[in-house]
Amino acid sequence: MGETNLVKTICGYCGTGCGLVLEVEDNKIMKIRGDKEAPVNKGQTCVKGAFAYEYVHAKNRLTTPLIRKAGKLVESTWDEAYQLIANKLTEIKTTWGSNAISMFACARNTNESNFVTQKFMRAVLNSNNIDGCNRT
Amino acid sequence: MGSNTTEAHPIIANRMKKAVKAGLKIIVIDPRKIDMVKVAHRHLQINVGSDIALINAFIRVILKEGLYNPEFIKKFTVDFDRLTKQVEPYTPEYAATITGLKAEDIVATAREYASSSGSMIAYTLGITEHHCGVNNVFDIANLALLTGNIGKQGTGIMPLRGQNNVQGAGDMGCLPNQLTGAMSLANNDFRARFEKEWNVELNPNAGDTQTRTFDRLEMGELKALYVIGENPLLADVHMNHTRTLLEKLDLLIVQDIFLTETAKMADVVLPARSWGEVDGTYTNTDRRIQRVRKAVDAHPDTKEDWEILCELSTIMGYPMRYTNSEEIWDEIRKLAWEMYGGISYERLEKEYSIHYPCPDESHPGTLILHERFHQQETAVSKSSFVPVDYTEPLELPDAEYPFTLTTGRRYESYNTHTQTRHYAAGVKVKQTEETVDIHPDDAMKLGITNGEVVQVRSRRGELEVKVKVTEQVVPGLVFMSFHWSETPTNVLTLNEFDPISGTAEYKACAVAISRI
Repeated sequence: MGETNLVKTICGYCGTGCGLVLEVEDNKIMKIRGDKEAPVNKGQTCVKGAFAYEYVHAKNRLTTPLIRKAGKLVESTWDEAYQLIANKLTEIKTTWGSNAISMFACARNTNESNFVTQKFMRAVLNSNNIDGCNRT
Repeated sequence: MGSNTTEAHPIIANRMKKAVKAGLKIIVIDPRKIDMVKVAHRHLQINVGSDIALINAFIRVILKEGLYNPEFIKKFTVDFDRLTKQVEPYTPEYAATITGLKAEDIVATAREYASSSGSMIAYTLGITEHHCGVNNVFDIANLALLTGNIGKQGTGIMPLRGQNNVQGAGDMGCLPNQLTGAMSLANNDFRARFEKEWNVELNPNAGDTQTRTFDRLEMGELKALYVIGENPLLADVHMNHTRTLLEKLDLLIVQDIFLTETAKMADVVLPARSWGEVDGTYTNTDRRIQRVRKAVDAHPDTKEDWEILCELSTIMGYPMRYTNSEEIWDEIRKLAWEMYGGISYERLEKEYSIHYPCPDESHPGTLILHERFHQQETAVSKSSFVPVDYTEPLELPDAEYPFTLTTGRRYESYNTHTQTRHYAAGVKVKQTEETVDIHPDDAMKLGITNGEVVQVRSRRGELEVKVKVTEQVVPGLVFMSFHWSETPTNVLTLNEFDPISGTAEYKACAVAISRI
């Protein structure tokens, strides 16, 4: 058994923003409790925040890029996947214009990743076709 | 209003319940007898989609009985006369016929809201997921302005946000019409600020919403779609139609942590990192910025979302490089300093959370927005009332499809359930599959019993699902969530949208139920 590390973070489910303390052992989340110091929840958690974390370690997590070949999704390298996307996006942008490309961003992601997402659309593809799941 | 707070925002519900013990009166306005009703002072169990009839009647009562705040209205608002005129037909008796409520309950609620020392309206998708969602919100704002219930503690309008960072994602600029810091894309000065920092020329025209994206996909104008951490196939209305549209794309890129139903349709799938594996910040429902910290090392062949986009960007000829999330945050602070300038990682480490706007390091953050309403003698800019009219749900029950289906969430599950399938060992989850929740009277009429599998069909699709007989719903109304891909509720829902927001009418469509 390795030693237990405590990591303070914010819950990733709803918009309440509860502070959590994660007990981590051997690179695994072992237990989650509410953070008593958190201004929002003062130590409380709901069933999702406290217990629905096993997905992080789920066996069916994606661990490699996949690309469709002859109708089937097959494993690829990052380089191959990047090159395919770059070529296709450039081709579509050249042929149809940047308005032919859209992005659905992720409301579960960090502010930092969301900032880079819209910067990618606006600075690289010159498109404002970016939206989140705000409407669903 | 339209918030099943106990199941969708359990910790906020706990705080509300605690406040009841300290004297708070809660009035629940919801078509279902949700758990919050237990602690409520009153439950207005309205017909689905009749919110505007109800609110207009509230406004009319408040006007007739002189319970509004004339000084506040004169100083801070415009179009009061238009509002007065528009709500005139909405007598409590007329509203009662539309909402299914008693006129005296409508009058009593209006009096209580207007005459308390502070009233707040909390709402969620029960208000917005209608063809008239924006009008519903306008009318809530009309009510708050009329009584001056805004800009001070214990008042205001509180939309409870559904995802951990749906507020932040929009604020960062993941919207078709705004840049980081909620700055308008149409504003030349704001655009110039970003163009200088990024060394590119920006497209000044607002882009497409998700709804518009699907419209343009149908017209053949959209060729590529890049989806990050979202499962629109299962989450969007009229699923069979969504599938046909996604099949039309030349390029579908999905970046996710699981091979979701949408990812299975993709041309390229990129493996991202999840919560617990990344650093950064989230913005919660009341504008708090808080630190999210990495707890475990991710699989080495996965990458963070921002890292993927930076590498792709660099390959495509626009080099983007950051060494960590703090570097990105500092660029956000620099560009949108009015909002985040004072919120450093260092300060968050010490203070836990800071409410934006917070323009500089000496600023304490902004706990309450719109305090200007109570601080200034004359208004800098006035707020307009936006009078609206009631319009009935677009697909009403009839002889062929005699039930109204309304959709929502359940306590233990989250959205399309890709994550909440994985509970920690030993946790007993109560609801492990979808049910169609139906009133005992209806169940008896149909001759169906609890646990029986029935067929539910609409004009767009059909599915089989177990019956849950419950008095949470009224006769004529059935309820389902969309958590389980085995029971894809959105094959049933209606593809009609609010014309302004593009939000779909998830809350009302007509269905038929039959024994198998």
